[in-house]
Amino acid sequence: MDKLLRDKKAIAFFVLPAGILFTLVLFLPILYALYISLCDWNALTSPVFIGFQNFVDLFTKDKIFKIALKNSIFFMVFSLITQQIAGLLLAVVLSNLKHGRNTYKNIFYLPCVLSSAALGLLFSFLLKPNMGLNQLLAVFGIEGKNWLMDVQGFIPLTMWVIGIVALWIYVGTTMMLYMAGIAGIDNTLFEAAHIDGANKRQTFFHVTLPLLKPMMKTTISLTCIGSLKFFDLVYNMTQGGPNNKTHTLATWLYFQGFSYFKYGYASAISVVLLIMSLAVTLIVNRTINTRDFAA
Amino acid sequence: MTGKNISKNNKRNKVRLSTPIIYIILTLLAAVYVLPLLWIVLVSFKTNAEVFSNPFGLPEVWQLGNYIFAWNTGKLGVALKNSFVVCTVTLIVSLLFGAMAAFGIARMKWKLSGAALIYFMIGMMVPVHCILIPLFVVFSKIGLTNSLGGLMLPYITFALPITIFILVGFFRSMPREIFEAACIDGCSIYRIFFNIALPLVKTGLFVTGLMSFVATWNELLVAMVFISDPMKKTLPVTLTYFVGPYATNYVQMFAAIVIAVLPTIIVYSMFSNQIVSGLTMGAIKG
Amino acid sequence: MKRKLLSILIASAMVLPLLSACNVSTDDGTNKKTTKEQENVDDGGKDTDSGNAVNITWAFWDDLEASSDLMTQCYADTVDRFNETYKDKYHLNVVTTNLEEYDSKVNALVAAGQTPDILTCNPGPNADVYVESDTVQPLNQYLDADPEWKDSFAGGMFDRVTYGDDIYGIPTNFAAACCFYNTELFEKAGIDEVPATWEGFLEACEQLEKAGITPITNSASTAWCLSMIASYCMNRNGVDTDALNEGEMHWTDERCKQGAEDLKTLSQHFQPTFLGDSNDDATAHFYNEEAAMLVQGSWVIAQMNGNSDTIEDKCGVFSFPTHDGSVGDMIVKTDNLLLSATTENPEACIAFTKMMTDETAQKATAEIAGKIPVTTVDIDLEKAPKQLGYVMDLLENLEGTIGFYNESLASVEAGDVFDNNMVSIVMEDSTIDEGLQEVEDFYAENVWK
Repeated sequence: MDKLLRDKKAIAFFVLPAGILFTLVLFLPILYALYISLCDWNALTSPVFIGFQNFVDLFTKDKIFKIALKNSIFFMVFSLITQQIAGLLLAVVLSNLKHGRNTYKNIFYLPCVLSSAALGLLFSFLLKPNMGLNQLLAVFGIEGKNWLMDVQGFIPLTMWVIGIVALWIYVGTTMMLYMAGIAGIDNTLFEAAHIDGANKRQTFFHVTLPLLKPMMKTTISLTCIGSLKFFDLVYNMTQGGPNNKTHTLATWLYFQGFSYFKYGYASAISVVLLIMSLAVTLIVNRTINTRDFAA
Repeated sequence: MTGKNISKNNKRNKVRLSTPIIYIILTLLAAVYVLPLLWIVLVSFKTNAEVFSNPFGLPEVWQLGNYIFAWNTGKLGVALKNSFVVCTVTLIVSLLFGAMAAFGIARMKWKLSGAALIYFMIGMMVPVHCILIPLFVVFSKIGLTNSLGGLMLPYITFALPITIFILVGFFRSMPREIFEAACIDGCSIYRIFFNIALPLVKTGLFVTGLMSFVATWNELLVAMVFISDPMKKTLPVTLTYFVGPYATNYVQMFAAIVIAVLPTIIVYSMFSNQIVSGLTMGAIKG
Repeated sequence: MKRKLLSILIASAMVLPLLSACNVSTDDGTNKKTTKEQENVDDGGKDTDSGNAVNITWAFWDDLEASSDLMTQCYADTVDRFNETYKDKYHLNVVTTNLEEYDSKVNALVAAGQTPDILTCNPGPNADVYVESDTVQPLNQYLDADPEWKDSFAGGMFDRVTYGDDIYGIPTNFAAACCFYNTELFEKAGIDEVPATWEGFLEACEQLEKAGITPITNSASTAWCLSMIASYCMNRNGVDTDALNEGEMHWTDERCKQGAEDLKTLSQHFQPTFLGDSNDDATAHFYNEEAAMLVQGSWVIAQMNGNSDTIEDKCGVFSFPTHDGSVGDMIVKTDNLLLSATTENPEACIAFTKMMTDETAQKATAEIAGKIPVTTVDIDLEKAPKQLGYVMDLLENLEGTIGFYNESLASVEAGDVFDNNMVSIVMEDSTIDEGLQEVEDFYAENVWK
């Protein structure tokens, strides 16, 4: 038995296909991206090593990068707060529902499996000045705003709108995870709390919530990383416009890389994105201390 | 943990909020989810003029031509086929490679198995954007851009970490005895894997397969950068290009959006419980 | 129970049309073309393997099959004609994207070493990039080898695609940006004469507004549309793009400020949804007769006549007014075909460019699409869209021409910066000074180094 499991050939047979693919298509390209980010490279010329100049330019000169960074952080914080609150609330309500729990659950989860590109386009039409939502508002005599072209203020209306659409799409995941978490809580705990005379609110804050902590870690890191990668929705709703006010790191990277073909510069943005993703994962894992969640 | 379990556990819950108000709120919320989708289905059967003159009523004449146009001229039909091919191959290969690697890491005995798992885990933290440019540069040199194969490679690779991670958990939780018995029967390690271990992790394969299928089916960025031949574009790309944010032939665009989301909605509404619990399970384990 | 709601919704959406079977239309809007044409166009779109014929590719920015643009349909006909004429010898495949994605897609193909044999290209910074990187090749030898072809082009057509002594592009059509107006709506508002001065222009707008008519339709969400008007406003106040690019004039100059001021004033008369409307939306407002004026390139003739049967008879054209009532410069451009430096089949490519500029194609350009031909072909203005005649009349009396701003500024990105900041000024996200300062900063950083 032991000999069988130590068979070098077999180990190679099992692990190498995935290992080679992973190294070639993911690991080496990351290293390559790190190198490119230190180069001045336009697609049609050859790369010239310039050290950290791209990063210096990013943080000192590129106003749109700052907007994109601000927007990405906004999406992260906004998604984090709204999805935690709405997701948890929905999960608690649905978990306690007698009838139709699955129907509601499945409806709220639906957008998570649909293409965010298609949903982005759907909402770009729904939120057009003369269509969809504004037509509906007009029935009630309300004049709707220009939802996707309003860029005044530090966090413009358009950003809030995209944030809400993102909430609409992704809250299902958070809700489902919390529902699974609640279902995993031992019922005797609720009964004990009930016997001790705790009301619903007290039970929620002192029994449910602490026990959902491991799940909170999962949902928070999923939401954070997910919102940093935000591309499809923004690309299909606003293309980063008007006047570049709604770019995220991902869309700005795409435009720099594939509209202006500044490979080096775009790679520098991707490195920033990578560092942020790693940092977020690390912070979430460090700050929310939990024992491993056993499903 | 399946959907069945969740509901069983909760029936025993004592804390219940079942006032009608909650139902009303939930139903309103459900309407917020269903109405946009319903709206687009409705307007996709209208004419451009009707979209403005009669935005919420039923179409006067059902314009099936919108769908025919989107399907043929908009190449949604071709795109659907491409997406299906890409997703199926990605699914099969990533499951196979992922299960093999997971088995190798979870059950085989070698020094670096732990390190290998951590190595693969890097992939779960890296956004695809970071490797977009290097991949594009290299793939275009070796002629892999503009081909479905060039799409499958990154898709498979990005599906690997989560597949491996979840399946390692499944393989580890298997009792030793099964393998010992097989070993005594004289099975080779390969037969043990393919004939015994693999069938036993069916749930794990379903969960990870589902996750990678959904992710691949909806992927836009890589496909948009890599593919320029209209006959090779996947569904999200064809849709983005056909509809674009700058078109006025609204009704045909709406039909295209409906075509793009309808297959998913149909499959979802048939198997929603399995899909929801499967994806949830995957997310928890990941 | 559980899954019923969704299933019912979907099922009902699918079944309903069947129930009211008499009310079903399957017109997909492609009937305009004959069946034969469609089949052939299909060939153009696909990578069909046509036996031993030499395959070449052409990158173009509109879908030859899906477009209702008459110019695009003319191109589709030429592609058919080419594949028919050179059957078994050459075969042309068309790589199409929509306009917004075109540059990035072609750049991606170039970077991937899959440069299309022929690319469509605007003059200016886009072409500069391809020329400087030797992606495309000079065409002098081919033009010189066929003097008859070379001489068929109208004077000055090669000016904007000539680098040093080398001609890099073959123009296929010529367009000028004008003010299109709806004669019926003008009459309704009691305007008898088209405005020739800036004051007259503003007065006409006010008069139209009083009559309850939207004066001008424009799009800020497609930034270059707004920027076209911005370019005219700048030009009418004496701004010179060459001086800007050379650093002899600054964006903070009074003339630039006045231009931006004029743009802002004029934007008060745009349709209320102009910030969210796309280019196509804005054009649709005009041909659906919801707005009285449209400032656009003359390519729009093909688009509006392709979408509306009635607009041709009601559409007049005048050139963008000037402050002193003189004729003023007109913004003009050509669409050009560039030849890849690495093409293996230059003869096939040249054969195609010749066909695109031959008598039949150029006649169609004018008579069907209403674009201005690049060759000295005799066109029958009776057959051509009426608007074309008006545009050509305007061009007759022209003082001078300038390029579109996004083709005349220092780089593609510079054009985008200008476009975006004009949008920003109009939507009052930044003041005129702030917006122009941004462009100035970009120039100081990237252009005038």
